[in-house]
Amino acid sequence: MSVSWKHKKNAGVAIAILALFILPLFLSQLGKTGQFWTWVVTEMIIMALYVMSLNLVLGYGGMVSFGHAAFFGVGAYTLALLMKNAGLSLILALLGACGLAAVAAWIIGWFCVRLFGLYSAMLTLAFAQLIYIIALKWYDFTGGDDGIHGIPVPAFLSPVNYYLVCLTVFIACLLIMKIIINSSFGLTIRIIRENAERAKFIGINVRRYQLINFIIAGAFAGLAGGLFAELNRFVQTEFLHWSKSGDAVLACLVGGMYSFIGPAIGSTVLIFLRIILQQLHQDLVQSWAIFLGIILLAVVLFAPDGFVGLYNRLLKKTQRNAEMNKSN
Amino acid sequence: MGIEFYLMMVINGLCQGMGIFIVASGLSLVFGTLRVINFAHGSFYMLGAYIAVSLGTLLGTESLFAFFMLMVLAPPMIALLGLVVEASLLRKIYGQEHLLQLLLTYGVLLLLDDACRLIWGGRYLGVTRPEILAGSIDILGHSLPTYNIFLLSLGAMIAAGLWLLLYRSRAGNFIRAATSNPIMLGSLGVNVARVRTIAFVLGAWLAGIGGVAMAGLGTINLGMGVEKIIECIAVVIIGGLGSIGGALLGSMIIGIGLTLIQLSFGKLAVVFPYIAMALILIVRPWGLFGKTER
Repeated sequence: MSVSWKHKKNAGVAIAILALFILPLFLSQLGKTGQFWTWVVTEMIIMALYVMSLNLVLGYGGMVSFGHAAFFGVGAYTLALLMKNAGLSLILALLGACGLAAVAAWIIGWFCVRLFGLYSAMLTLAFAQLIYIIALKWYDFTGGDDGIHGIPVPAFLSPVNYYLVCLTVFIACLLIMKIIINSSFGLTIRIIRENAERAKFIGINVRRYQLINFIIAGAFAGLAGGLFAELNRFVQTEFLHWSKSGDAVLACLVGGMYSFIGPAIGSTVLIFLRIILQQLHQDLVQSWAIFLGIILLAVVLFAPDGFVGLYNRLLKKTQRNAEMNKSN
Repeated sequence: MGIEFYLMMVINGLCQGMGIFIVASGLSLVFGTLRVINFAHGSFYMLGAYIAVSLGTLLGTESLFAFFMLMVLAPPMIALLGLVVEASLLRKIYGQEHLLQLLLTYGVLLLLDDACRLIWGGRYLGVTRPEILAGSIDILGHSLPTYNIFLLSLGAMIAAGLWLLLYRSRAGNFIRAATSNPIMLGSLGVNVARVRTIAFVLGAWLAGIGGVAMAGLGTINLGMGVEKIIECIAVVIIGGLGSIGGALLGSMIIGIGLTLIQLSFGKLAVVFPYIAMALILIVRPWGLFGKTER
């Protein structure tokens, strides 16, 4: 039975990917709304990448970070500066965004893995705030609170093409993450999450593994930031703000952080909800934080393992019911 | 610029630091007993300021008496809100994963901040200070706003009051005991949950006082809660999580440091709290006055 279940799951994933690839065909029929939704879905994909990168640290590594926006923002600003001021191509700029975010994660992570629990989380927050203020005050370089406008768009890059680029990058990143998580490295990271003391006793260099994990997560976040900057064509200090880090932690929790795809689901659902509210009434989205707060409270109190956990529980229930029906 | 000038700057910094301390002491108290960093603490503070504005328009704040009425009336409302938050939300998840508790307070922050926006809008607000607190006096040939002196004395009173409460009263004994060993305290027959509630309510009340004090400075806006909580976290980390004396020292370091660094670096001085926080975390993670947990 487990084999057929796995087949079913694989088929489901394949169908989902296929659906995402042909989605633009459908959206292009819708005119203006289609363009809008293309933008939204692209944003969803990029944010899913960002949130999943955090979950490498949070869910798999067990390290709370309240400064993940630092890497997203560094990636976004790097892309903006490289493309606008240095005139690099999109691919090189994305690589640069990824690389610089990884370097930032290396520096910040080097300190953070030396601390435990809350203290480590607070240190990520302190560093992220530092980067945020630098971006805010270094007017000549980052444009301060004006941000950087007018990031160039390569000629071939229509919104639909950009969507396909992002989707391809996203799926590639997902594969890489899956490989990392299932490698011996990924298993070690999870051992450390479960019991760092024991991991140390069996000779694992805990700090080193955590640091590498942190750098990988930072690199993916930087890539997401770069992709988003190109989509938005405008970067601002808000990308670096600690509420951006908080939003990512929130999406991980809402989706379910002990599952691979959970965080992506969480982030997508939240974006979708926000857009729906916006479509319903402009005033509703003004109060987005209230909805977000209520969702967060509900999840923390009633479903701490998120949507995925909820789904699994429901699934078990229906399976049990089905078995009971059979035996009857 | 002689020595008097720098002395004045230090005094000004002290006053600023006291403004921070009033709020940060509450955060530290709550962390000590509940082991939770209350992200909503800044929102309590902001709500206190907004309530002071509304009460101010209702009662008028020109006379000293009316202004002190704000101090008496607004903070208990915040304390009541703290009671609701603690009893209806936080208590449900004690002993669960730390991250969940953190995120719960984050959820409260989101709710309260948006509620403030819906009720009071995005404008900058403030209350007019009574005449006696609006002027300034001359010290050493420089003028010092009387409001700063007010802040300084208010902070000193709160510090003294907290010290008396924590170290010279039975309730304070319980709060400190809940900080150092809640299981032992519980097995001695004390209702630890109630001690936590009291600490949380007290923390919210302090945040409310800080908010009212800030209302007198007249720069109330929607970002102030989020700004303040980060500043308070920095202060509390520097001083040592859970230590009131540490919060006092941390506030003074930040207040004086900010004022002095502003002289030579201008606006870049705002990085100082985070640099100090990061340095402390790296060198001495448990803070200047805190105790090691491992």
